[in-house]
Amino acid sequence: MRGLYVHIPFCVQKCSYCDFYSLPNRLNSLKAYIEAVLQEAAQYDQLRFETLYIGGGTPSLVGVNGLNDLMTGLTGIFRIPKLVEATIEANPESISQDFLQSALKQGIKRLSIGVQSLSDTELQKVGRAHNACQAVQAIDLAQKEGFRNISADVILGLPGQNWQSLMTTLECLTGWGLQHLSMYCLAVEPHTPLAANLPGDLPCDDEQADLYWQAVELLGQRGFKQYEISNFCLPGYECQHNLNYWHGGEYLGLGPAAASHYKGCRYKNKPDLDAYLADPCGQKDEVEKLRKPEKAAEEAILRLRLLQEGVDLSGLIQKYGENNIMALAARLNQLSMKGRLLRDGFIYRLKPEDALVSNTILSELLGD
Amino acid sequence: MLISQEMNNIRNFCIIAHIDHGKSTLADRILELTGVLHTTDNKQVLDSMDLERERGITIKAKSVRIPYKSKNGRDFILNLIDTPGHVDFNYEVSRSLKACEGAVLLVDATQGVEAQTIANAYLAIDAGLEIIPVINKIDLPNAMVDECRKQISDMLGLSGEDALLVSGKSGQGVPELLERVVERVPPPQTDESAPLRCLVFDSYYDSYRGIIPHVRVFSGTLTKGVKIMLKSTGKTFEVDEVGYFTPEILPSARLTAGEVGYLGAIIREVGDIHVGDTIISPDFPDTPAVPGFRKVLPMVFCGIYPISTNDYPKLTMALEKYILNDSSIVYEKETSAALGHGYRLGFLGMLHMDITIERLKREYGQDLIATMPSVIYKVITRRGEKIEELFIDNPSRFPEPNFIEHIEEPMVEARIFVPNDYIGSVMELSEKNRGSLKNMEHPDTRRALLTYEFPLAEIITGYYDRLKSVSRGYASMDYEFTGYKTGPLVKVDILVKENQVDALSYISDKDSAVTKARGLIHKLRKLIPRHLFSIPLQAAIGGKIIAREDIAPVRKDVIAKCYGGDISRKRKLLEKQKEGKKRMKMVGSVEVPQEAFLLLLKMEDEE
Ligand SMILES: Nc1nc2c(ncn2[C@@H]2O[C@H](COP(=O)(O)OP(=O)(O)OP(=O)(O)O)[C@@H](O)[C@H]2O)c(=O)[nH]1
Ligand code: SF4
Ligand SMILES: [Mg+2]
Repeated sequence: MRGLYVHIPFCVQKCSYCDFYSLPNRLNSLKAYIEAVLQEAAQYDQLRFETLYIGGGTPSLVGVNGLNDLMTGLTGIFRIPKLVEATIEANPESISQDFLQSALKQGIKRLSIGVQSLSDTELQKVGRAHNACQAVQAIDLAQKEGFRNISADVILGLPGQNWQSLMTTLECLTGWGLQHLSMYCLAVEPHTPLAANLPGDLPCDDEQADLYWQAVELLGQRGFKQYEISNFCLPGYECQHNLNYWHGGEYLGLGPAAASHYKGCRYKNKPDLDAYLADPCGQKDEVEKLRKPEKAAEEAILRLRLLQEGVDLSGLIQKYGENNIMALAARLNQLSMKGRLLRDGFIYRLKPEDALVSNTILSELLGD
Repeated sequence: MLISQEMNNIRNFCIIAHIDHGKSTLADRILELTGVLHTTDNKQVLDSMDLERERGITIKAKSVRIPYKSKNGRDFILNLIDTPGHVDFNYEVSRSLKACEGAVLLVDATQGVEAQTIANAYLAIDAGLEIIPVINKIDLPNAMVDECRKQISDMLGLSGEDALLVSGKSGQGVPELLERVVERVPPPQTDESAPLRCLVFDSYYDSYRGIIPHVRVFSGTLTKGVKIMLKSTGKTFEVDEVGYFTPEILPSARLTAGEVGYLGAIIREVGDIHVGDTIISPDFPDTPAVPGFRKVLPMVFCGIYPISTNDYPKLTMALEKYILNDSSIVYEKETSAALGHGYRLGFLGMLHMDITIERLKREYGQDLIATMPSVIYKVITRRGEKIEELFIDNPSRFPEPNFIEHIEEPMVEARIFVPNDYIGSVMELSEKNRGSLKNMEHPDTRRALLTYEFPLAEIITGYYDRLKSVSRGYASMDYEFTGYKTGPLVKVDILVKENQVDALSYISDKDSAVTKARGLIHKLRKLIPRHLFSIPLQAAIGGKIIAREDIAPVRKDVIAKCYGGDISRKRKLLEKQKEGKKRMKMVGSVEVPQEAFLLLLKMEDEE
């Protein structure tokens, strides 16, 4: 499996918690930007991909023309005739009928909507550009236009959020027949407006944990399986593009701040739109080539996030060679002896109840 | 007699005073005035250590050789030693005195005679030095010259009328001071033709040239190529370099009797030479030793342990080298169940401990944990008929409570100078620290001199800092050990998830044991991160729990969203988490941060 990620670094306004690379007020560069992306893509002429993910930022801001230009260009460069999955992210404030139709026409059948919450006060407190009503309309529209694989992002731990409001959000979303939910805990990232001005009603870690476990239970009752720590779906609707990340697969990221994993190397483009526009192919940064034992540990850590699938040691042996996974195997075994991992033959899994403390456990798998 | 003519031109003297009375600043002016340095940028050039700069205090005595032409045109060699003023570094002063014939005694004109002025003046008088009293900082508008003169006469028994008026800052009076030094300080009484006899008064370790002793030559001459013998061990070496301090070391042809300088002789073994040793010529093995230094009694003890147990050999090496530069520290091996192999160190006081640990960390690159400071307790035990008296400097080594008859603790007599306005608050503070007032005098109209008896343990757990803060820095204190006294003492043990942490045990007076234990447990709860399981924290006397709190299990750790497949960032986060763990000490299955081991100390500071 190989995935293609295209970053759209534009937003209507910045949300207070956001540390993604995205800029407000730069849509005037859109045309030049798409040209630059295609220029960067051209380096990998004829490469084949199974999944496509257009993320952001706010990809729905590129509009019908932008999307057409982008997709025409990409299909000209890469071999992507039969994608297993193609996703585009969209925010409620910029979803239009035309846009949705054109996405479908381009073969993009999966839609990921940045709903975040269905409480207006919560949305306002973190400076989201939309309100609950817009979110409802966006979902409605997408379904009417024929999207049958819709995901919504939900943030857990928003200022003022309590179980009552989160429950409402989740019940609505599942009730409306969405297929997938990504539910991430709000993290206060340094240098964000949120960090500079912490609201008093921000749920603490323990409160977030309470919300999380109640949400997990509710989603379970609604038939959503927790296939990853923060991702839930109806059977068969796992996000293939993201699964590929967690399987340690290859992917190419286009655009500023986009990350790639290609030919054993991980690297990132510099987060600088202007530099990117000036030289789309010269932004590679933080190139990292791990040795096999580290690579194997990294893959195990990623795979353990998949709560049901877990990591299959025999698969790692095949991929990396027995010598390179000895230390890892010992660590996995040690953790299972300590009762921190479940073991089933060659397969190790996180205990479901440890989902929120996984870092503490997973960091043990790293070498010294 | 050409040689003794030369000798007549040498003047060895040190500058002594209470802390902050301006010794190092005056040394700057002297260096500038005599042209040794162009400018000192007013930064106390002799305070060359980073820590000295940062804290604005002198820690190590430093000598410097200064050529000086007097008013009447005669050439002199002055050897000046700048000494520290803080009571903890008193040992530096007493060693410096051995290398001198005279002492410039500074009194800050705005402060008058203080506790360390008296202590240091008496050290110099006892060493038979010529003392030149100086009233310093006379540039300040609140200088009290007449009062200082009177105090110098009344309290020190020196001639206050004679005291020179100087400003180390502006340089006023400094030329007159130098004239007085060459006039009053006697030249060294020496015999250059007699066999070699030198006193090692300091040393340091140089990775290329081995141990470099600092010496005062009492008789004979040191030159390159000469053979020397250590009187104490009989080991011999060949001198390959001699020189002076300018203040950097500067090689010279020779060091003759009466002079102060250094020598290099490829001395590699740390045990081969000690401060206080006498260096003689192997040809005259019967040359008597120079009377060494008074033995100093360490007052405060703590354990130091490498953070990573593998670093114990490195710590050993660092410590051995460090001791070369600070012979007042005593040390011995120690093993802790919680912390592994380490050392028990004895210091002259809390600042000394603080500085030593900081220097070991910075200058010697040691990653270490220092445990809570303790004094030496005298524990009287009875097992059947057998009565024993044990001296114990580590609470974790205390015998079982049922064998203890009673515990005695070291007491000190403290002399505290305090301005009238603060007498009340100082007395209140002292009472809280189990002090008992022995005497109260009024050396002048502004101040009182309080004499207190204290348990030393109270002094080392921050009394001095608190004294400074309740008196806005105006009180000064000096103390000396007076003996042992029975106290109502108990040993408190700390248990982390049922494991006793030996390095956290402490001795407390009975009355405040429970309050202290509660405070400590509370602090500990905030300091130890939450784990995947719950952690009971307990304090106990004998088997009896006197305080308890529980650390709830962690329910959520930081989850970085791996957006856009930025896996590296995620991995780095985990790596950082793992790295953080390495800085923790494992107590059973609990990771305890280093700070925990200094907790009690900090707790007292914040009270
Ligand atoms: N106004 C004035 N200030 C002075 C004078 N001499 C020193 N000071 C100030 O007093 C403070 C202490 O000076 P130091 O020279 O470091 O004192 P010290 O005696 O060497 O201190 P320790 O070595 O720590 O005992 C500094 O802030 C100096 O600037 C002086 O003659 N006049
Ligand atoms: S919409 Fe998303 S990318 Fe844009 S500012 Fe908000 S959080 Fe950031
Ligand atoms: Mg000084």
